[in-house]
Amino acid sequence: MYNVRKIKENLYWVGANDRNLANFERIIPIPRGVSYNSYILLDEKNVLFDTMDASAGDLFFENIAHVLNGKPLDYLVVHHVEPDHASNIHRVMEAYPEAVLVCTAKASQMIKQFFGNGFESRMMAVKEGDTLLLGKHNLTFVLAPMVHWPEVMVSYETTEKILFSADAFGTFGALYGPMFADEMNFDRDWLDDARRYYTNIVGKYGTQVQMLLNKAAGLEISLLCPLHGPMWRENLGYFIDKYQKWSTYTPESEGVLIVYASMYGHTENMAEIFASKINEAGVKELAVYNLSHTDCSYMIADAFKYSRILLVAPTYNNGLNPLMENFLHELAARFIQKRTFAIAENGTWMPASGKIMRSIVEEMKNCTVLEPTFTIKSALHPEQLSDMDTFINQFIHN
Amino acid sequence: MRKFVCTMCGHVYDPEVGDPDSGIAPGTPFESLPANWTCPVCGVGKEDFEPQK
Repeated sequence: MYNVRKIKENLYWVGANDRNLANFERIIPIPRGVSYNSYILLDEKNVLFDTMDASAGDLFFENIAHVLNGKPLDYLVVHHVEPDHASNIHRVMEAYPEAVLVCTAKASQMIKQFFGNGFESRMMAVKEGDTLLLGKHNLTFVLAPMVHWPEVMVSYETTEKILFSADAFGTFGALYGPMFADEMNFDRDWLDDARRYYTNIVGKYGTQVQMLLNKAAGLEISLLCPLHGPMWRENLGYFIDKYQKWSTYTPESEGVLIVYASMYGHTENMAEIFASKINEAGVKELAVYNLSHTDCSYMIADAFKYSRILLVAPTYNNGLNPLMENFLHELAARFIQKRTFAIAENGTWMPASGKIMRSIVEEMKNCTVLEPTFTIKSALHPEQLSDMDTFINQFIHN
Repeated sequence: MRKFVCTMCGHVYDPEVGDPDSGIAPGTPFESLPANWTCPVCGVGKEDFEPQK
């Protein structure tokens, strides 16, 4: 049966929650699920904003039919062609033969790549600043290339000042009744997943997010409707400030992130002692992750949060532990910048992991990599503790 | 020297700036970029760039 939500007069959420999908993009774990947001705006011309993931197909069509209640669907606006939002485009175009598909020229090319040329004659390509009059409402289209695909645009409804922001301002986490961020304790319950979503999905494209934020800065926004997670009608400055920080690679905290890999627990023991001593040295905000246990999407998120990152890993095949190697390549792929790194290694006969970790993080922009590497052979011993204190002192005061 | 625009993502190659992250020195004209140079933003090749109007 349909399950729709009235967002405001004439604006309906016709989306769906997904608490079945284990990994977003079949890569990133989403224990709290995810919502696929799709919206209908009713006016003289009725508009559907984006479709959704294939998994929600039948419910989606019941939702659309319920809100339209026999009225025609005049436009389908496609902001983003990634299949979690676009999988039902062809079905919408078949079910509503009068509908015109509105998207950027690049999106129309991608839609043809996904679905063929079947409804090419019903596509309307729009450019930056183009408008679409719906009756009382009026849409202006704003291009947002590489946030986080090249074809992306957002729509601004000028009468009620609604920004349909595509993947920007989205988050992991299924909706659970409340639809608006101001009805939730967002900072406590959602921010970590919002950061994990942003940094993992969009993190690489900070410059392009900055371009979109600069365009949006000129708009008065009373309602923000992203493609995932809650809608925003209050305190937008809070979330925009987070986006400012994330997209400029500015840390939110001067605390320390410790990421470690350990095969038998000796390197882990070193990481644990580092955490204790760094805290005793006065650092209140710390996060410690075990790469063997936690998906690296959590560490990528916290690498954007904290200003200092301590990498702790053993040598493996005369090289670097592959979990750490993968994490560092994933981090480098997000263009992380402006961080202070410290490196601790372990090796029983020829410690080599530190050199490899160093060579990867030294390529990162505007980062400081502390000298020297802290090295243990097999296990940490009490006679190394004073060296460790010196190492920590340099790290946390850098 | 002409600037070139990526037709996929809109990135502008400015020869005055070059592309230092990819080892392209400032002052390198677009025409002199190596054939395997790719857009630093979206990854498409040189053939997807056109002169800025």
